[in-house]
Amino acid sequence: MADFTLTAEPFLGRFEQHYDDVKLREIYDVAFVSAAIPLRKLTAAKKAVSAAFGVDLPEVGMSALSQDSDMRILRLGNDQAFVIFPRAQHDTGAEPHVADLLGDVFYTTDQSDVWVTLEIAGTGARRALERICPLNIAPDAFGIGATARTSMEHLGTIIIRNGEDSFLLMSASSSAHSFLHAIETSIANTA
Amino acid sequence: MIINHPLLGPRDAAEFVYLGDAALIDRPDPEAENADEQFYEYGYLRDNPAGAHQELWYHEQGDRSWLVVTRDTLTHEITGVKLARDEAKKRGRNK
Repeated sequence: MADFTLTAEPFLGRFEQHYDDVKLREIYDVAFVSAAIPLRKLTAAKKAVSAAFGVDLPEVGMSALSQDSDMRILRLGNDQAFVIFPRAQHDTGAEPHVADLLGDVFYTTDQSDVWVTLEIAGTGARRALERICPLNIAPDAFGIGATARTSMEHLGTIIIRNGEDSFLLMSASSSAHSFLHAIETSIANTA
Repeated sequence: MIINHPLLGPRDAAEFVYLGDAALIDRPDPEAENADEQFYEYGYLRDNPAGAHQELWYHEQGDRSWLVVTRDTLTHEITGVKLARDEAKKRGRNK
């Protein structure tokens, strides 16, 4: 019998493309763990986050980088948070790693293979998103670190502003190519 | 139509799913003497006002919260948005 070796590939094959003033690339190997806050456990959750990450649990609609900057915690709703970080750092698995850090306060679920991540950056990034993103992402309404869950071209999307001219876009990996196509079309239409 | 979410700010109505009359929050007590009558009303009878109407909307493409939206059925003007969780607590629910 033939001896096969299987190598995992990122959802979009390490996609990277430069347009005039916009750069679009896939961020791959992102570990993505949902951390839901149980009823009446908000105070305990805040304590756990401070102890684990050295930062406060962000307000709804904001994200924060851990003290050593390799993990980002997103707060998308009253009781809905996510932790994202480079997957390669933790071979033991993303969810056990986060559960270890946070103790048993949160309900944690590994969603690493569920999401595809794109980074859109450059001075034209905001213009490229203006027809596809239904939110106001002007800097005064959506500053650095702001995050929201919305939909783009009918696909559920999490958007994070991770820099002055840079956004992370996360959508379902099962429709990764449709999502990429939608973003590329938006870039072309607004160029 | 824009719904001004109490936590997340103004969001397009396309992110939401509509359920209906917010009276659904007031689920009758199944132990009450006339529970059958109350559940019949709860399940089937709705007011149909021409004007201000309190209704439940679900933020499916957002934070998955339930909202109580006060909408004018004649003009679609939205005059109030509250978290259904807060509204239910105000009406006596204990969690």
